[in-house]
Amino acid sequence: MSAELIGRRSFLARTGTGLVLAGGASSLLSARPAWAAVAKVGEAAPGFTVNATNGSPVSLASYKGKLVVLEWTNHDCPYVRKHYDTGNMQSLQREAARQGVVWLTVISSSEGTQGYVTPTQADELTTSRKAAPTAVLLDTKGVAGKLYGATNTPHMYVVDKAGMLVYAGAIDDRPTSRRADVQGANNYVRAALDAVAAGQPVKTPVTRAYGCTVKYS
Amino acid sequence: MATRLLAAALLIGMMAGPGLAADPARAPTVKSPAPPGPPKVTVTLLGETASIEPGASFWVGIRQRIAPGWHTYWTNPGDSGEPPTVDWALPPGWAAGPLVFPQPERMPVGPLMSYGYTDEVVLLTRLTAPAGRPNGGPVTLRGHVAWLVCEKICIPEEADVTLTLPVAAGKPAPGAGAAAIEQARRAVPSPSPWPASLRATPETVTVSVAAPGLQPDRIAEVVFFPGRWGVIDHAAPQEVTIAPDGIALRAARGLLPEDPSADLDGVLVIRERLDQGLVSSAFAITASVGGGPGPSLTMIAAIGLALAGGLILNLMPCVLPVLSIKALAMVAHGDSSPGIARRHGLAYTAGVLVCFAALAGALLALRAGGAQIGWGFQLQSPLVVTVLAYVLFTLALGLSGLLVIGGRFTGVGQGLTARPGYAGSFFTGALATVAATPCTAPFMGAAVGYALTQPPAVALSVFEALGLGLALPFLALSLVPAWRRLVPRPGPWMARLSQAFAFPLYASVAWLVWVVSRQAGPDGVALVLLGLLLIAFGAWLRHVAHRAAPRWRRAATGVALASAAVAIALAPLAAAGPPATATPGAPAGAAWEPFSPARLAELRGQGKPVFVNFTAAWCITCLVNERVALRSPAVAETFARHGVVYLKADWTSRSGEIASVLGSFGRSGVPLYVVYPARAGRATMPEPRVLPQILSEGAIIEAFDKETL
Repeated sequence: MSAELIGRRSFLARTGTGLVLAGGASSLLSARPAWAAVAKVGEAAPGFTVNATNGSPVSLASYKGKLVVLEWTNHDCPYVRKHYDTGNMQSLQREAARQGVVWLTVISSSEGTQGYVTPTQADELTTSRKAAPTAVLLDTKGVAGKLYGATNTPHMYVVDKAGMLVYAGAIDDRPTSRRADVQGANNYVRAALDAVAAGQPVKTPVTRAYGCTVKYS
Repeated sequence: MATRLLAAALLIGMMAGPGLAADPARAPTVKSPAPPGPPKVTVTLLGETASIEPGASFWVGIRQRIAPGWHTYWTNPGDSGEPPTVDWALPPGWAAGPLVFPQPERMPVGPLMSYGYTDEVVLLTRLTAPAGRPNGGPVTLRGHVAWLVCEKICIPEEADVTLTLPVAAGKPAPGAGAAAIEQARRAVPSPSPWPASLRATPETVTVSVAAPGLQPDRIAEVVFFPGRWGVIDHAAPQEVTIAPDGIALRAARGLLPEDPSADLDGVLVIRERLDQGLVSSAFAITASVGGGPGPSLTMIAAIGLALAGGLILNLMPCVLPVLSIKALAMVAHGDSSPGIARRHGLAYTAGVLVCFAALAGALLALRAGGAQIGWGFQLQSPLVVTVLAYVLFTLALGLSGLLVIGGRFTGVGQGLTARPGYAGSFFTGALATVAATPCTAPFMGAAVGYALTQPPAVALSVFEALGLGLALPFLALSLVPAWRRLVPRPGPWMARLSQAFAFPLYASVAWLVWVVSRQAGPDGVALVLLGLLLIAFGAWLRHVAHRAAPRWRRAATGVALASAAVAIALAPLAAAGPPATATPGAPAGAAWEPFSPARLAELRGQGKPVFVNFTAAWCITCLVNERVALRSPAVAETFARHGVVYLKADWTSRSGEIASVLGSFGRSGVPLYVVYPARAGRATMPEPRVLPQILSEGAIIEAFDKETL
């Protein structure tokens, strides 16, 4: 190796620019993944319009003035089944309905993936599981899911009456699929609804949602 | 009759129809999920030892053999997933430590990222046996392991694992799982030798690892795995910069809205290029949350601070000498019309602003390209420092009277000239900027720090405000006629003053030579000084030939320019030498001697066993090998037992001697581990053995134990 080569290499190594490794050519960084960068707790919840199981479009904006809970689900996911088989999700839905809260269950699984259901099948599941959502939305193209950055099932969001997103994350603080862990868990959705009803800020507004990944296309 | 038969048939048909149609009650169209097949992961409990020594601790491993295409998770599973857990059912008196995870893989799942393992992984735990033998019989260790295994869907699985071992006094022999456990221990991130810190801005998080002396061209990849969710966006690309003082990784922030307050544990994986390919080393780092960025500035505040900083920059030692040139120009033009003075002031300001814009533009462009550099980056290059030293030296020679550069370039005419010399003011402004960059005035730090996190337009305005502050005093003097009356009239004192002002410039040159010494070592200094000598010689030639015949003047100018050219050509060579690197703290473990071929030959002549470790401060694999294998008490004990002499060849600053020894083993780089066995009773000296580049305790111990059968 000649002195010149050493000089050039060391020169390149020594200049203040340093060496750019992985991701150097990638786009400018943003605070959230580029594919889902809109919903942020503390800001306005992004609006969407998705068809419900009865075929009619449901739009989030139409529920302004009411509390809305968004529940991303996949009926075959063991973590979702933990809450449905124990009746935990259903009782939460009924509790919310009693308080006048709108509950939208969203299925963002694309066709052919786990959790994908036809409208008829979705309605069957609601009946057989005795669930009580206001509507079940079939977000097959994943538009609403990506707008909210829904990563797992179950992934829960709470929107207050003014349309602000006040909670995003897990349903509770026991990130397992064990049915026994439902009992005694701290339910974040209930806590968020109670806080909003009492006019107080939500104590833990952002948590890590646990569960199976949402099967986007 | 036929009609009646037909009617009866129809009637029967209609009644039987519903029965015959076999219409069952509407079956649900949602199938219940298929019953789970065989488990995707088989777990076994491995023991490091073949027996249990009472009171001693030993490693056990939970080996997960994962079906192809499926994966399990690390302690931080990433955007989705669940880490494995184990519930131990141990006999009374036993203690179990936490699960120790080997270095994970990145597993992108669509737009998300998980961290985990495929194919096979051994999760380690340290178990401690109680002292005393309760009943002497074999002990059964039981654990209940639960995990999540995913491919496109996820299946939670669980299994019981057991391991039965006899209890025996004394050091146990290696067990059936010893090799697998040793390999797993090798894959566990080692404690980092370098401190790490974390800095968060509203959009990004930067993890800085103070690892000086690394060579960027040896490193293929650096990845950081955060130990908990929410601080760093797992799926975001990590921008890595390797600078002389360490590694910086910048990634988009995670979803937690608040700034991280607790230290962030994580794993830093560095893939290094060795002779035999890429080797990964993993380090467990704890990034301490440094003093936060503080309350963020508004743009107006930043511009105000920048203006103030620029004003104060006028007083800084690196700027003052250059300004002395301007001061002299002001004095020289003290009598000229206000219009000319004003234009000089504006030309100077223009020079400052244009130069600041160029520097700031280059800085922002490089940062957008991913480089993690700060203000003053141009002075991190010894080449730039050398050229700056030459320029300042030339100007100082001009002020000393040795060199007449001409009114064009410095505006210091031999007397009042009609020529305005605006270009001179412009270049003085540019020079003041370049000289100013290494001095950070108070206020500048906050303003520049703010600017670098903003979009280019805002950043540029902050830097221009800085430039304006720098140019302001002279601009004011040139614009306001009244103040110019304070400037003394030109006279003979000017020559003496200009000679005096040369000395701050010489001082700046001395400082720059010191910077070169830090960057390029003594060899670089020698070359820069030689360059300065050549410039001084050229200047003297010009000076001497100034009043001579034109022919001589041209010849002298030619030689002077040639010397200057040689000086400039020397500059890159001055940048060649490696910087002095601080070697890491002295390792504990087996005592070592520095290597030299003479010492090696001496020891071989005496027939002693020798272990040679070829290493370098910038070699990460060497570092990991030292920590994992060479510093272990077992290896020290083996060396002591066999009387092995441990020689260490430090190739941090390359030496031809060591390079040739490496070459004799067919290697061009470190690490290299060579075992020279003892002569013992053999007729000829046994051949040296080369150990693998990824060293393990077992390999060293076995190498020496085997030789002395």
